[in-house]
Amino acid sequence: MASSVLTSEYAGATRKRGPRALQGLPFVLPYLPLLIVFGIAPTIYALDLAFTDVGGGWVGFHNFVRTYDDFRFIPAFKHVLAYTSVWLGALMVFVVGLALLLHGRANRVSATFRFLFYMPGALAGSAAVLVWLFMLDPSVSPGSFLLHHVLGADIFAQSIAPGNLPFIFAMIAFWTGAGGWIVVMYGALNTIPHDLEEAARIDGAGPIAIALRLKLPLIRKWIAYMVILSFATGTQLFVEPQIVQTASFGLVPDTWSANQLAYQLAFRYADFNGAAAIAVDLLVIGLAAAVLIVTRGGLFRAED
Amino acid sequence: MRIRVVGLGARLVILLTFAVFFVAPVLWLLLAPTKSDKALITNSPFSFGDFHHVALAWKHLDAFSSHIFRRWIGNTLFYALSATAITLVAGVPAGYGLAIGRFPGRRLVLSMTLVVMIVPAAALVLPIFLELNAVHLIGSSLSVILPFSFFPFGVYLAYLYYATALPPSLLDAARVDGCGELQTFLRVALPLAKPIVALVFFFSFVADWNNFFLPYVVLADSNQYPITVGLWDLLSATPSFNPSVGGGGQSVNIFKPELALATLIAVVPVAIVFLFSQRALVRGLVGGAVKE
Amino acid sequence: MKMHRRAFTLVTLVAVAAAALISASTSGASRHVGASGSITVWVDAVRLPVAKLYAKTHPNVHVNIVTFDGDGNGATTMQTKIQLWNRTGHGWPDVIFSEQANDPVWMAQKPFDFALNLNGVFPKNLLKGWPSPSLAQCTVNGQLVCLQDNLAQEVLYVNKKLMTQFGYTVPKTWQQWAAIGQKVAADHPGYIIGNIGDSYGAWLYLWADKCPISQVVAPNTVRINSTDSHCTRMANLLDPLIKSGVVPPESVFTADFATKWGGDNDKILMMPGPVWYAKDIFSGTLHVPAGELTAATPLRWNDEPLVTGQVGGGPWIVSKHSKNVAAAIDFVKYATTSLAVKSKVDALSPGYPSYGPDASVWLTSLDKDPYFAAPEGPAFKAAANLIWKGWSMVTYPDQPVWSNTVVTQLVAGKTLSSLLSAFGDGLAQNAQAAGYKVVRK
Repeated sequence: MASSVLTSEYAGATRKRGPRALQGLPFVLPYLPLLIVFGIAPTIYALDLAFTDVGGGWVGFHNFVRTYDDFRFIPAFKHVLAYTSVWLGALMVFVVGLALLLHGRANRVSATFRFLFYMPGALAGSAAVLVWLFMLDPSVSPGSFLLHHVLGADIFAQSIAPGNLPFIFAMIAFWTGAGGWIVVMYGALNTIPHDLEEAARIDGAGPIAIALRLKLPLIRKWIAYMVILSFATGTQLFVEPQIVQTASFGLVPDTWSANQLAYQLAFRYADFNGAAAIAVDLLVIGLAAAVLIVTRGGLFRAED
Repeated sequence: MRIRVVGLGARLVILLTFAVFFVAPVLWLLLAPTKSDKALITNSPFSFGDFHHVALAWKHLDAFSSHIFRRWIGNTLFYALSATAITLVAGVPAGYGLAIGRFPGRRLVLSMTLVVMIVPAAALVLPIFLELNAVHLIGSSLSVILPFSFFPFGVYLAYLYYATALPPSLLDAARVDGCGELQTFLRVALPLAKPIVALVFFFSFVADWNNFFLPYVVLADSNQYPITVGLWDLLSATPSFNPSVGGGGQSVNIFKPELALATLIAVVPVAIVFLFSQRALVRGLVGGAVKE
Repeated sequence: MKMHRRAFTLVTLVAVAAAALISASTSGASRHVGASGSITVWVDAVRLPVAKLYAKTHPNVHVNIVTFDGDGNGATTMQTKIQLWNRTGHGWPDVIFSEQANDPVWMAQKPFDFALNLNGVFPKNLLKGWPSPSLAQCTVNGQLVCLQDNLAQEVLYVNKKLMTQFGYTVPKTWQQWAAIGQKVAADHPGYIIGNIGDSYGAWLYLWADKCPISQVVAPNTVRINSTDSHCTRMANLLDPLIKSGVVPPESVFTADFATKWGGDNDKILMMPGPVWYAKDIFSGTLHVPAGELTAATPLRWNDEPLVTGQVGGGPWIVSKHSKNVAAAIDFVKYATTSLAVKSKVDALSPGYPSYGPDASVWLTSLDKDPYFAAPEGPAFKAAANLIWKGWSMVTYPDQPVWSNTVVTQLVAGKTLSSLLSAFGDGLAQNAQAAGYKVVRK
């Protein structure tokens, strides 16, 4: 019905007012219920839960204080902080570095490497953790030499010593996630006009100088996107510690990460308000990081 | 010249080291089901056993909990394909609508989509659980499919794609010809949609296949688990990884080779989707603006 | 003649009818003549065979068997599941087996409110077969909410062959045991006399020495005094043994343990452990050669009265929400009793049955088993009544606290004495989070 009205109006294509004000809306309509029900409403619901108690009464910041005082809260957030730092550091250094290394001349070699890096991405989630349970067990792993010399581990219990955990989880996440981001960065590097590169080469710049001084700044936006999205997924860490907890017979606690603590609060103690408070904590941290990166990284500056 | 060669050599060494890091575990996984549980410890990690052990491992795996493994794979296919279908039908046109649209609230929808992408799933899953519970959907497949089908990343990708790859001239031409909105969409946007559909299909399917937290929370019946949660269930129900206080349980017959085989089978569908989407991926990832 | 035949028929009919009536009225509290319908049971891997056996021998009952982690090693799987079912109002299984002896405590109370009161539902004459401490462990707020599947008292396993070979006598006290340990470290390095890396290490060594770290002293109040003399003296005894490697901080369930000390190496000289280690662990998991092992009475501290620890002894719980209580009870009855019947169809029970008559059958069979160098039965039976009663079942698991506060640090080289305080703190925090008041003295 809307389209027939619009059709009759299009006799003169120069009109830009009236029914055209709703142009595009019908296509967005099927998506809106999903956005509201599974995006916006839960966010608001989470905020509501975080500031109310079981009966629904307003309690201000009580849930936040209460969960902060929980003896598992600070360790969980410390763990997540350590994990996210290592994870983002590895992403920024290795993903960008590898993408730059791949963005050279030999395209078929480059494509082969990209595929090899990308392969583990198919094993995200619990499958990847299961593979690494074997990789971290010195009695089975092909890397037992490395486990012994790098982690000082001769038995599985030593591989997953508490101090090693942030690095181990970051390594698993890197193993599955890096390939995808390398492909994205590589694609981003491909948007750099060739003449810029040629000009720099003619000026006498070596490959390292070109990579660091020319290419790197031009993909700054993409690096920022990667960091923002990875920060958000990083703070949500759940699968890896949860599975390693079972496989280690309890050597890793079931509230190692903040997300695990939220889960336990919700489903073991039926404390949805406390769980929501932790979720809101994570949300605030994620948004704060996003804002920081956007403003410091000059993400929306015009000249790019 | 010498520096160039050394540089090239150094570059190759670094790339090879990382390649080994990424590939070695996958190679181990491929070879693991061919060996017996004991051989996995005693023999070289990259040795090949024989196919007899693979068949045996499958037999044990299939026998676990009355063929529940097959059910898990079936469930995951069902959830991922259904949810991705909804995502495509709702999300691609939405991206188009947001790209060419001029309705009030367009920017709002766009920013909401972006913001929700950053909101941690931890914040959303628990309220979603309560929402689903309020409408008595907990325990049905919809409790997994519907949340899965909300895929803001896909919508945003479609928006970026149409915003950059759709020449306004094509749109105007269609309108001048007297096309209504729907016809414009069908005539102009849909034919161009193939790369973005492939892209969103890939991301959505993989994300749904690998999702652990949501199904872990909303599904109480292990018969409904997708394979991600199923793998964890398999791990926790087998004595070699979660020994029972009470000893024994060896009759369950799930040891390292079976677990490795389970993991391998769990990634086959995604690997297939990977292989087929490789091309669309590299080309389409940067919003169609990659210049080959 | 006809008259006699008719009378005879009549009498027979009456007799048969009477017999039927009598048997119907004694076949259980319900009016069902036999179990039927369908039930869902959640079991761990070890109980799976008996569940399958029930299904096979009771074709009238459709048994839906779900294998899960059994809440092993202090997991909280059941708590999260029951919350989920309570919230959605459906999905509860009819019978659950749990490896955690303390699960029934919270299952019987709000907000979980899951366990069925078995008083008056389970046949009384059968209940008499359970030892009273076992029934006491399953009694919460005066209600019997579970039935223990197997007893789990701790004994001292001894490798008779190696002991004779090295010329040691079987120790009767912890002090003698430790002294042998010192000798072994010097003369026969590589051999072990125990281990402390399992999640239940506290039960093996601290429970056995009356360390008061899980003692309910008043309603909702628990004493957790990890620096009590009983705890510190045991830690002092163990520390040099852990350091010298004769009591390693590793779990018997790791492949590594079996490779290092089991199988062909055969380096397990002695090992404090529960009765269910018997054959399944030593033969099945660790592959210790036959004809070497036996069990001795648990160790005592110097000349103090003999007590020992307990490792598990999991309960069967029936759901309050069960729609087929008759079949559920029948299942639990089958799983916990009638071993003589079951063992004709399938293998022996993996653990020491709680049900007395079954225990006798089990012990007799065990003593005939040529795997053991000498009968273990006497030691098992003796230890059954020696479990220290000062350790209470509480609503929170202590295994994870032991694992991630103590074992991780023992692996890193710290001493047990230095960790007792932190262990106590961890237990106190968990107790408080579960709603208990904690007394630290």
